[in-house]
Amino acid sequence: MMIFKKVMPRRMFLRGLGATVALPLLDGMVPAFATAAESAVKPVSRLGFVYVPHGAIMNKWTPATEGTSFEMTPILEPLAPFRDRLLVLSGLDHKEAVQLPGEGGAYHSRATATFLTGVHPKATEGLDIHAGVSVDQIAARELGKHTQLTSLEMALDSVERVGTCEPKYTCAYLNSISWRSPTTPLPMEHQPRAVFERLFGDSDSTDPAVRRARIQEDRSILDAVTEEVTRSLKGLDPSDRAKLSEYLDAIRDIERRIQIAEQQSARELPVLERPVGVPATLEEYGKLMFDLLVLAYQADLTRVSTFMVAHELSVRTYPEIGVSDPHHPLSHHRGDPKMIEKVLQIDTFHTKLFAYFLEKMQATKDGNGSLLDHAMIVYGSGISDGNLHYHDNLPVLLVSGGAGQLKGGRHVRYPKGTPMTNLYLTMLENLGVPVASIGDSTGKLDLA
Amino acid sequence: MNRRVSRAYLWIVVGLAGVASAPARSPQQSSSPVSTPGSPHRAVLNRYCVTCHNERLKTADLMLDKMDVDNVPAGREVWEKVIRKLRTGAMPPAGMPRPDQASYDSFASYLEGVLDRAAAAAPDPGRPVAHRLNRAEYVNAIRDLFAIDIDGTAVLPPDDAGYGFDNIGSVLSVSPVLMEKYMGAARKITRQAIGNPAIRPDLVTHKISPLLVQEDRMSEDLPLGSRGGAAIRHYFPADGEYVIKIRLQRARGDYIRGVANRRQLDLLLDGERIKVFTVGGEYAGKTATGDARQQQGEYERIGADAGLEVTTPVKAGPHSVGVTFFREEAYELEGAFRPRLVIADNSGGKDGEPTVDTITIRGPYNASGVGDTPSRRKIFVCRPSRGEEEELCAKKILSTLARRAYRRPATEEDVQSLVNFYRIGREKEGFDGGIQLALRRMLASPSFLFRMERDPPRVAPNSLYRVSDMDLASRLSFFLWSSIPDDELLDLADRGRLKDPLVLEQQVRRMLRDPRSKALGRNFAGQWLYLRNVSAISPDPTEFPEFDENLREAMRTETELFFESLLSEDRPLMELLDANYTFLNERLARHYAIPNVYGSHFRRVTLEDGNRKGLLGQSSLLTVTSYATRTSVVLRGKWVLENILGSPPPPPPPNVPNLADRSEDGRILSVRQQMEKHRANAVCASCHARMDPIGFALENFDGIGKWRTTEGPTHTPIDSSGALNDGTKLDGPVGLRNALLNKRNQVATVVLEKLLTYALGRGVEYSDQPTVRRILKEAAPHDFRWSSLILGIVRSTPFQMRRS
Repeated sequence: MMIFKKVMPRRMFLRGLGATVALPLLDGMVPAFATAAESAVKPVSRLGFVYVPHGAIMNKWTPATEGTSFEMTPILEPLAPFRDRLLVLSGLDHKEAVQLPGEGGAYHSRATATFLTGVHPKATEGLDIHAGVSVDQIAARELGKHTQLTSLEMALDSVERVGTCEPKYTCAYLNSISWRSPTTPLPMEHQPRAVFERLFGDSDSTDPAVRRARIQEDRSILDAVTEEVTRSLKGLDPSDRAKLSEYLDAIRDIERRIQIAEQQSARELPVLERPVGVPATLEEYGKLMFDLLVLAYQADLTRVSTFMVAHELSVRTYPEIGVSDPHHPLSHHRGDPKMIEKVLQIDTFHTKLFAYFLEKMQATKDGNGSLLDHAMIVYGSGISDGNLHYHDNLPVLLVSGGAGQLKGGRHVRYPKGTPMTNLYLTMLENLGVPVASIGDSTGKLDLA
Repeated sequence: MNRRVSRAYLWIVVGLAGVASAPARSPQQSSSPVSTPGSPHRAVLNRYCVTCHNERLKTADLMLDKMDVDNVPAGREVWEKVIRKLRTGAMPPAGMPRPDQASYDSFASYLEGVLDRAAAAAPDPGRPVAHRLNRAEYVNAIRDLFAIDIDGTAVLPPDDAGYGFDNIGSVLSVSPVLMEKYMGAARKITRQAIGNPAIRPDLVTHKISPLLVQEDRMSEDLPLGSRGGAAIRHYFPADGEYVIKIRLQRARGDYIRGVANRRQLDLLLDGERIKVFTVGGEYAGKTATGDARQQQGEYERIGADAGLEVTTPVKAGPHSVGVTFFREEAYELEGAFRPRLVIADNSGGKDGEPTVDTITIRGPYNASGVGDTPSRRKIFVCRPSRGEEEELCAKKILSTLARRAYRRPATEEDVQSLVNFYRIGREKEGFDGGIQLALRRMLASPSFLFRMERDPPRVAPNSLYRVSDMDLASRLSFFLWSSIPDDELLDLADRGRLKDPLVLEQQVRRMLRDPRSKALGRNFAGQWLYLRNVSAISPDPTEFPEFDENLREAMRTETELFFESLLSEDRPLMELLDANYTFLNERLARHYAIPNVYGSHFRRVTLEDGNRKGLLGQSSLLTVTSYATRTSVVLRGKWVLENILGSPPPPPPPNVPNLADRSEDGRILSVRQQMEKHRANAVCASCHARMDPIGFALENFDGIGKWRTTEGPTHTPIDSSGALNDGTKLDGPVGLRNALLNKRNQVATVVLEKLLTYALGRGVEYSDQPTVRRILKEAAPHDFRWSSLILGIVRSTPFQMRRS
């Protein structure tokens, strides 16, 4: 007997230019055996990290007052509607991003690599890249067991650039903030269609039997390949073996997800068209990508995400807000008030985009609350003063849901030298994934 | 002594300095003078080098007083660095005493001689790791296996780069996301290649960028006398009927652009006209009863392109669909050319010329089969007629394809695994379905996705052996074609014929003549010359209002064609910098102010203007080394130092103060005046004295490569004079070019190292320097022609051998 959970008729068209394709099959359309237990399930926690490059104009970011009566500074102004969930954290450092003697001036590579890891990345231009495991991946190891995608990595920036990376550090360090293992940075997807397909697949048949057959085919292929690789591993030296083991790990990851896909019941989802191409304005593009992220959370396709609004060293210009200078050189303003003003506009544009994301999270129902109620989102940068490349007193926001876990609506200042990784320790504990330490952490951050 | 030390300290901060003038032919002798007992060389070191590079000062971490110059091989890594500095004339730094040119060169030659002989006696070819196919290689492999062109950027994520290239084995990793993409891609590719008889109608829209100006003939696939529109390549998945629908661009006020004029619109399939539409003008279907103006208005906003659609039968496979207007004016407009402002959506209203927005293709309807496509022909080398023959045929198909995909003969195990999958697929979906499932299995195999070279069984660890012919075939094809070897190469490798140097040379030349060698331009030159960045740049529309997509494409095509011609015509290396020809179409010729070039197709043009000659006069390079709003003297200088001269400047120190753009009394300063600080401050000058003059020499080219004689709102005349550290005068692009042409050996070294990195898929180490020198020695008499460099690499130890 087949029970279908129908998809909600509410249509949500995602904006996008270019090709639209006939309605895809949503992976959630699986014969479902509805259980009463479903509605009584505990709300699941979502985790998200949003990264902006080049820091911020700190004196327009940091509120003068601490505690609950802090003022919304110009950059934080767009987030005013979420004040009661907002924790403005000042004084957190990433000292592992600081240059060591003998290293090149690769501030941006180090800022990117340490942001979620707290580990000083190894200075190398091609051989053995090495950082640490990032906090999102630590959480994903546990949270990802229940979802089809372990985690989702997105960026509003392509990494197709050649030759613009920093001395002594390979470009791989600039491209991602998420590290699955100390040697595997995860690629960050920037094409809306690719994200869509990652979430919702590409089959063109709605017949569940066909879908299930597809799943079985995938599994048999992967099984056969695993056998072949295991056979191949004999007679290879350690470095070759390491490469193939990466490959095996990736296969096992997919196999696991396929298992979950088989077991998971349908969820009500809006029907949408697959987007193709990248929207013309940055604002539209950003909103589209955030829409996809919210959808991913809503469909419980993943519970962990990282999102780069731009990569470090971004030379993007922002003509839609009247800034036609490239971001990175602008961030080196040397006190020029005109340049500072422009950077300020960019910083505020970014927080506005973030506010859109939070709005959407709040507007989306999840259990007996909203997605935002059950989420912890960090917004920040691995650099505070972009002009001078400081990695201390970083601009960090924690937007936290209700459920009495963390009290929002405060500006908290931590003593000098407090590692940002302490924040991650606290967050991991709140998520039920406690670890002893991460990167350069010294203990949990007091968020009470 | 203090002053000397502090000056030495200055150079510590700097690192390198100066570019000495090298003679036109460097005296790199293959038989270097028999090294006399150490003392003359020791004396040279003591006199010119040890003052700074000693144990106490540790300048640049180099302690030449502790190095034994009589046992050079023992300190190979250090001595190679010394050689590099000597051959680029960077040390001793300008201002410090150095020996006469003959002694200088003979010292360098002595070092090289010893190291080369040591390397010849005990070569170290290195050991590349298991190397995953990168995106470009995957796309090309699919093209060669199945005769299908896929859009790599839509299907796979970009690859991480190392040493400036994205084909470095140690950097390419496999993440779960990538694995998923491979699985998804395999499904799509095999479905398209084999065809799906049960396919349902789909809808695909091709959009034309609004920033592309549709003023001229847009493509070679469109007829002469056409204007605007586009010719797109579309893959039709099955024999059947398809609906092709055209939408026109809107202008201000939501009117269809150009709708006030009556125009003829042609729809072409593979160059054959299948339909003609008339668009615009007075609306012919007005009814007597309605409001005439309102009906006209609706026509102009919606109706005019509502019926631009046709249903037509098309055979499965790739086809060219062309949509274009009949060109109304057959004459050329006289008078000065005024650059058009390209602001999307706003140029021209109803009265302009109509332009095409999208081409939508729906179908197949009434599909009658998968047809006979090029990919089916490639895959189905046999067709079974009776049941028993099926599995035999399947085996034949799969082992043929597996041999190509795995780049080696398919083993029993390989074939068995594929046949197993064929059987499963055969059960459910027939012969074709079985083959498809087996091919999906093949494309997920590590033997396809990775290049793995195995040590032969009886070789001792850490010894050298010659790479097998099969592995050599792969190395060749991935180097020259960024793809899998073809059957000819595989057959020769199978018979062990690649060991014959004559056969090897023949194959290399054949491969360079083959159109697949365009990959060298796209992937090697694309990354070395930063050409790939041309797609990413966005010049500011206020500063550069005449920049449009046509120009962007033209820039990229010019340099692509230029590099391809250098390669296919096997030109001497330095022609890269001083060729008196280039490839232009009308749009680019207009940009360069070169008259009498008409039409959108590219053709070779001889350059009269000395300033434009060679790579440094090409817009692509000039634009990717600029910012969105202006040129950058520093970026351009740095690019040349890094990629042409091989002496990159060290990174800037932290906290560099900003340059003031106004003088203290408020005058706007010219760029040159702003950069005075670079010279006034000694710490800055140490590097900027090398970079800035090069950038200034190119200042007549603005941020998108257009020639100018003044800059900025004050129209300050451009002063492109300057001098290199060694005193060579640079006067504009011509002066710069001549200075570079004098450093032939330096340039050849850089190019060869980059080519070697690309060819080996690993960084070039100090232990490879003897190889580099040897190849250059052999290529020098041939003017460093590209074939001499490439053959040199192919014949070299690191390419042909491996350490176990």
